Amino acid sequence: MILHTLNCNGNSESFRDCLRTAQSGDAILLLGDGVYSALANSESAQALHDSAAKVMALDTDALAAGLETRLGSIPLVDMDSFVALSEYYPRQLAWY
Amino acid sequence: MNTVPRKRSLIVVRHSPYGSSLARSATDLALAMGAFEQDFDLLFMGAGVLQLLSDQDSAQIGLRSAGKVLSSLPLYDVESVFVDGAAMRRYGLKAGDLVLPVNVVDDAGLHPLLSAADHLVSC
Repeated sequence: MILHTLNCNGNSESFRDCLRTAQSGDAILLLGDGVYSALANSESAQALHDSAAKVMALDTDALAAGLETRLGSIPLVDMDSFVALSEYYPRQLAWY
Repeated sequence: MNTVPRKRSLIVVRHSPYGSSLARSATDLALAMGAFEQDFDLLFMGAGVLQLLSDQDSAQIGLRSAGKVLSSLPLYDVESVFVDGAAMRRYGLKAGDLVLPVNVVDDAGLHPLLSAADHLVSC
């Protein structure tokens, strides 16, 4: 059970390696530039959709990027939820 | 008296050696943890594998050779050095291209390796 924080765009090596590594039982939290990878209808959003891990995006960063209505089905979480996630998952791995 | 079980860390190295200071941070962390007798392993993923290339000569760019520093890791009690096999293929590298003997991890081995560590540090 790993919380993957993904802070890089959907064309990057880190993005691909994160998705290759994350498994069922893990969560991927998109933050910073990572929120762009969830743009509805993008190739990276499809890859996120296909992941066995639970995918979500940090609301402040998605709002800042203008993505509030462009994220398809990916749920937004707030900073308190981010803290709760970091408590719930025993390990965190930062992809940037 | 209770003894606290020792924690094992895995340092995940994912950045190329000279483009940023991240590579140096990773090796500094490894050497410091070695000096303080902490248990840790190293996993090189993505462009991080490029740090392990032999024949790096960084004198003319004024930086310390990443390969040279990393080749000294066995002196610091590093248990194991793991390398992502997919990254080796991506960059066209073979074991003989690297400054250290490494354990190549396949796709299926990646998640168990990460899950076996108590702490993950990504550099």
